[in-house]
Amino acid sequence: MMSSKSKPSILDRPLSRGKSEVSLSLFALLFAEIVHYTHNRVQSVSELQNRLSEMGYQVGIRMLDLIVVRERNLKRETKILNILLFIKGTFWKTLFGKEADKLEHANDDQRMYYIIEKEPLVNTFISVPKDKGSLNCAAYVAGMIEAVLCGSNFPAKVTAHWHKGTTFMVRFESSVLARDAQVDTR
Amino acid sequence: MNRSVDPKKVNSELFTLTYGALVVQLLNDLESVEDVNKHLDRMGYNIGVRLVEDFIARSSADKCYDLRETADKLQAAFRMYLGISPSIANWAPAGDEFSLMIDTNPLTEFVELPDTCSNMRYSAILPGMVRGACEMVHLEVSSWFVQDQLRGDPVTELRVKFIKRLEDSVPPGED
Amino acid sequence: MTMSLEEESRLLYGMLFSLKSFSNRISPLDVQEGVQCYTTNKYKMTLFETPTSLKFVCNTDVNAPGVNEMLQKLYTQVYVEYVIRNPECKPAEPITSELFKAKLDETVRMSPAFSSKAA
Repeated sequence: MMSSKSKPSILDRPLSRGKSEVSLSLFALLFAEIVHYTHNRVQSVSELQNRLSEMGYQVGIRMLDLIVVRERNLKRETKILNILLFIKGTFWKTLFGKEADKLEHANDDQRMYYIIEKEPLVNTFISVPKDKGSLNCAAYVAGMIEAVLCGSNFPAKVTAHWHKGTTFMVRFESSVLARDAQVDTR
Repeated sequence: MNRSVDPKKVNSELFTLTYGALVVQLLNDLESVEDVNKHLDRMGYNIGVRLVEDFIARSSADKCYDLRETADKLQAAFRMYLGISPSIANWAPAGDEFSLMIDTNPLTEFVELPDTCSNMRYSAILPGMVRGACEMVHLEVSSWFVQDQLRGDPVTELRVKFIKRLEDSVPPGED
Repeated sequence: MTMSLEEESRLLYGMLFSLKSFSNRISPLDVQEGVQCYTTNKYKMTLFETPTSLKFVCNTDVNAPGVNEMLQKLYTQVYVEYVIRNPECKPAEPITSELFKAKLDETVRMSPAFSSKAA
C-alpha cells in the first residue's frame, strides 16, 4: 500500500549511545503482560519458563552486540572467568543499573557456576511467597545470560532457581573447559 | 518505603528489545498479522488501565474537564513513562480530536518491517494504552496511527478521538 | 446485628452514589470536590475518590484527625504499589493479596487517626 515511498534504511541511522531510559513501572507492566500471555499458551510451569528463557535469549544476543560495539571496541572475552565477570559487571550494569550480587564456582562440579541476584528486576513486582518453589520469571534473564555465553562461543545452559533470592545456574559444555585449560597452558 | 514517588527507571533498550521479542513471539504463535495487531492493542489496553493509576498517584493529577487538559496529561505521561515529549497538533475544528506527534519512538529503535508485515501496526500497544488509560478516567476514546516512521512517514502521528464521557455505574435497584 | 461484607459494600456504594448525584444537582457548577465527608453524632465518614472513581472510605471516631491524608496514602503507597503493580491482582476483582493486607494495616496503624482515640 505504501511501498511506493522510499523507506530510509535502518542502517543509515547512527547507533544511539544507549543512555535513554523508560519508567520501571511501564517495563514491569509490559513484562507482566508477556508472562500473562505466555501463561495462557502453555501447559506447565517448566514450559512457561522455557518460553520466557527463549524470549530472553533474543534480547540477550542483541544486547551483547550493542555492548561489544559500544564499549568493548568489538573485542570479546576468551576466558571463562572473564566472560562471567563481564556478565556480572558490564552486562548487568547496562541492563539493570547495578552489578549482579555474586559470582560463585561450584565445589563439586567444575563446569558449574552460579550468578546470584537477590532481587532480579523482572521479579520486583511479582509476589514471591506464593510462587516460591515453582515459577521463577527470572528465567527470562537466564535466557539473556545464555545468549551472551553462547553468542561469545561459550556454549552453556543457564537456568533460574529460587535460592538466595534468585540463583542462575550456569553449566558449561565440557568442550569449553577443555579449551580454557588449553589456553592456560600456552 | 517511599518507592511510589521515586521515578525509577530502566534502560530503554531492555524495554525496546523486550517489546521486540514479544512481537516476534506473537508472529510465531498467531495466524495472521491482523491477530498480532489485535493482541498488541489488547495488551496495551491492559497496561493503560493500570498505568493510569500509577500516573495519578505520582503526578497527583486531577480530573480533566476538557479534551485539551487530557491531551496535556497524555503528553506528560509519554514523558514520564517513555522519556519522550510528543507535540500536540492537528486539532479537529470541533475540538474532539487531536494528534500526538512522536519524533523518536523508543519501541521502534532497532526495527525495520519486512514486506511480509506491511500491514502490521508494530507499535499498536501505544493506542491501546491511550484507550485503556482514558477509559479509566471516564473518557471513551478511539486511537490509531495516522502516520508511522516505520512505513517511511516523516513522523509518527498518533490520533486520539473523543467519543463520549462514561458515567459511574448505577447501583442495582436504582435509576 | 451483622451483615455480610458484600451486603455492606453494596449499601455503601448506593449511599455514596446517591450523595454524589445529590451534591451534583444542588451544586452543578462545582463538581470538582463532591462529598468528602459527613459527620453524625456517632461517627465520621471520610471519602477519598480518585479521578478513576476508586473510592476509599473510612468510618472513624467523630474527631479523628488526618483521615483524608491517610486515605490518599493508602491509594498512592499501598494500592498503586501492591495491587496495580502486582500482576496477580486483577482490576475490579476483590483483592486477596496478603502483602496488600499487611501494608494496609501498617499504614492505618501509623495514621494519627488510629492512635488519637487514646489521647
